[in-house]
Amino acid sequence: MNTSEAKGKLLLYRGSIDDAEPEFQEALEQARRDPELAEWLREQASCYDAIRAKLRAIEPPLGLAEKIVRRRPIPFPLDWSRIGQLAAAIIISATITALVMKLSEGRHRLVVSAQEILVTGEVLDMTCYIASNLSGPEHAVCARECIRRGLPAGLKTGNGKVYLLTGQPGQTVNAQLAELAAKIVTIKGKETRRDGFAQLQIEEIQKL
Amino acid sequence: MSPDPEFESLVKIYYRDLYRFGLSLTGSEADAADLTQQTYYIWANKGHQLKDPENVKGWLFTTLHRQFLNIRRRRKRFVHESIDEDAQNLSHISADVVNRVDAQTVLEVLGQIDEDYRAPLMLYYIEDLSYKEIAEVLTVPLGTVQSRIARAKIKLLQLLTKTKPVPPQSK
Repeated sequence: MNTSEAKGKLLLYRGSIDDAEPEFQEALEQARRDPELAEWLREQASCYDAIRAKLRAIEPPLGLAEKIVRRRPIPFPLDWSRIGQLAAAIIISATITALVMKLSEGRHRLVVSAQEILVTGEVLDMTCYIASNLSGPEHAVCARECIRRGLPAGLKTGNGKVYLLTGQPGQTVNAQLAELAAKIVTIKGKETRRDGFAQLQIEEIQKL
Repeated sequence: MSPDPEFESLVKIYYRDLYRFGLSLTGSEADAADLTQQTYYIWANKGHQLKDPENVKGWLFTTLHRQFLNIRRRRKRFVHESIDEDAQNLSHISADVVNRVDAQTVLEVLGQIDEDYRAPLMLYYIEDLSYKEIAEVLTVPLGTVQSRIARAKIKLLQLLTKTKPVPPQSK
């Protein structure tokens, strides 16, 4: 290895952090024997240290760390047993509500009869949305998987209203909605409401 | 929201270095802060998927770099200094050349170098990552990383040599 080749190798040498790299050993050995090369290596090391010190002196804006911690989303690992429990809770809750309403149907007419509407919004996985407020592109993968596995899907409009999405009686729409998870779509369907809960029975979906 | 000591500890350890890396990539303090926040946001949602806990640092830098590449696709690219083959000249450059300029100037000069070269060079200077780890963060072959760092380093030193010193502050 001549001096020029040794310099080519040692140009990347950063000191102790690279000591374990075998590719520098021969060039370092040569620098121990060649005073001129050793001097060049010292200059390189000084340059490296000076630039590193300058760059490491740059400080982030004040309060950035606190802002990151404050805006931390609630961690939500894909724990399918927990998701199943949440889905079961939603279904049981909806069933109880439906039964209670059925029993009191004679006395109270709280169901708003179906009317055809056109709504635009984001396709949600209701389990994660209600439990952990997860939605948007960052949550698309999880939402797609949840809906694909049969968990309830919803639609959140621009003004924050959320619809439970269903197919025609006896038909599931989860396979179709899973592909649209976290995407903005326009849905034509029949809206029904009960006790503040809104359901949209899908007739047609348009992807925007 | 309940505190998460592990998350807060990760922020404390790495947020400065992530911000500096983001700043070197974008040249914008606001964009660097956004990239740093976004990286931790993704960590909070997906960090549990990391199989090797020893690789948290690499994971964070890889994620920040990917976020930057996503942003870059949507924005107009700046014209950067090209790195030509003449840059292989290993000229003698003293540390005094570096010491006469301030950190902001070094960052500005770094910003003149094409991103493909700037990213590995920044990791080379500010992070205690091996060449293999730098290659993994940027998802390029080890040999390519070393070649890019060598050429970018020479270019940086040449540009610093041409830079005017920072005048002493008047009292």
